[in-house]
Amino acid sequence: MAAHEGWGKHLNGQTHRAPSIGAYCFKGFILGSTIAEKILARASGQTRVNAGDNIKAKPDFVVAYDFPGYTDVIFKQMKDEFGLTGVKDPSRYALFIDHMVPAVTPQEEELHQNTRDWGAQAQVPVYERKGIGHQVASELGYATPGAFVVHFDGHISQLGTFGTLAMGVRRHLIESFVNEKIRMAVPATTRVDLVGQLQRGVMARDVFHHVVRVLGPASCRFQVLEFGGEAISEMSIDARQTLTCLAMFTGAVTAIINPDQVTLPYAKERARLSIEPLYSDHDATYAARHTIDISQLEPVVVIPPSPANTRNLMDHLGLSVQVGYLGSCASGRLEDLRAAAEVLRGRSVKPGFQLHVVPTSQEIMRQAAQEGLLTDLIAAGAFVSSPSCDYCFGRLGVMSAGQRAVSTGTLNVRGRMGSTDSEIFIVNAAAVAAAAIEGQIADPRPYLR
Amino acid sequence: MSLPVIHGRVAFVFEEIDFDVDQIIGVKNIKLRDPAELASVAMQSYDPAFASQVRKGDVLVGAMNFGYGHPHYPPMIGMRHLGITAVFAESFSPGYWRGEVAMGFPQIACPGILKFVNRWDDIEVDWTAQQIINHTSGGRLDIEVWSESDRLMIEAGGVLGYLKHIQQEEST
Repeated sequence: MAAHEGWGKHLNGQTHRAPSIGAYCFKGFILGSTIAEKILARASGQTRVNAGDNIKAKPDFVVAYDFPGYTDVIFKQMKDEFGLTGVKDPSRYALFIDHMVPAVTPQEEELHQNTRDWGAQAQVPVYERKGIGHQVASELGYATPGAFVVHFDGHISQLGTFGTLAMGVRRHLIESFVNEKIRMAVPATTRVDLVGQLQRGVMARDVFHHVVRVLGPASCRFQVLEFGGEAISEMSIDARQTLTCLAMFTGAVTAIINPDQVTLPYAKERARLSIEPLYSDHDATYAARHTIDISQLEPVVVIPPSPANTRNLMDHLGLSVQVGYLGSCASGRLEDLRAAAEVLRGRSVKPGFQLHVVPTSQEIMRQAAQEGLLTDLIAAGAFVSSPSCDYCFGRLGVMSAGQRAVSTGTLNVRGRMGSTDSEIFIVNAAAVAAAAIEGQIADPRPYLR
Repeated sequence: MSLPVIHGRVAFVFEEIDFDVDQIIGVKNIKLRDPAELASVAMQSYDPAFASQVRKGDVLVGAMNFGYGHPHYPPMIGMRHLGITAVFAESFSPGYWRGEVAMGFPQIACPGILKFVNRWDDIEVDWTAQQIINHTSGGRLDIEVWSESDRLMIEAGGVLGYLKHIQQEEST
């Protein structure tokens, strides 16, 4: 059988193929597997799975943040429809309170209290005021290399930094609360190798949006985006978390990076499970492979109203902005704070400009304080807040009609940070700081020492 | 369980690639929850007469990567209230897709759909042949096959029915 004969119809961008040996054989040799396939094989109790296979996989961890319409509905439907007030193995579950923190209405606090109460009676840990859950999950060891994790929110993909396969499944998440296993089709994988050395003032945020620009916003639909290459090896954990966090904007269902000497010490020290890390085989089957040279990349800006709109920052210099947001689950880590502090140290935020700095977690905020970064930012005029998701989705620091922001938040769609007639320009952390000095979109590189 | 009958008119064709479904009701209305209220604001930017023209069984058609961005549920709650029974598109964005399939709302990918239909054409899904029939033009077009779990979710009318079906299946 020829290598292609086992391949079936394309389904929503997944390359589907029959689970026959012909699907992964070429001239009699059995081809290798991707890290995602290996993780899902382990999670489904099989020796091997291939893209397109229908499987029943047991997530190692099921995580969620409390949010109206999600966790409250899951708890209610579990009880009303299935008579369940808890889960079989509470240690597999984790709940985070990171949106609507602190509460500003009695209804918000009621939601949080219901989450605390449900967690207490179900013996499921509830983490609150520790930071944005997607980041805190890694700090607390849920990003175990080789593990399979589900959440309703797609930005959980950032656990892929550590070789964890973490997928956002929206309302399908309830299956993981009611049953031990979740039914799914194994996604195909697109491999993107990044090569070349980043120039000064160019950050992971620029790299991700450049990938969207090069490959397109539908390039990885329904697939796993696997990052690799020499440039990845040189990147910090912070930078990798930025890349993997935003996978959904390529259409991917998640992103993953094979563990290495950068990520393993961090992840293994905190890991909640004792499982062996998994790695893609050199002859794994990919839906597509791309190599992107980032050595000539310059800072980018993603113009409203879509995360698909990557442009060169230099073509948008001088546009007046009134608000800056440095934070979110995508950015707001030490690397981002260091870059912003370097730009702002000894300088001042332009009078009238609102610069909101929100470290992604308490652990990051504590380290930033120890390094003196917060002192530098505050001295320059930044408004520094405790970790919360609320600046990113327009609950705090909202804009009025006609205002513009530079932001490291996840999105730039209309109304995301306030009025539907305000605008969001996504840039890297250093560029947020540079804009805060000038009150307009600015090149951060001249400010870097 | 069986797949739903989908037979109706193409009530609207969204030709924009990477279409953000929140635009159907406008982001300013994204926090509305009442289906009737959502239906009343739907499509105002595209065709103010839409609500008066659409009828039960009609369908929507979209372009490539339909649902891209940060999709919310209210736009399609409004559309279902108006009688829309399915969305066809050249392809879908996964986040939107997963959300609507979990609601039991058929999302059917069929490359070539934009050239295959015009607004108000009468179309029907032939589940046996995995094709769309265009009764207005007389043509047929292949649709993409759902995964097992997606098909079950649609047959069961959403994630709750799907879970009950699984429990029943596993208990027997």
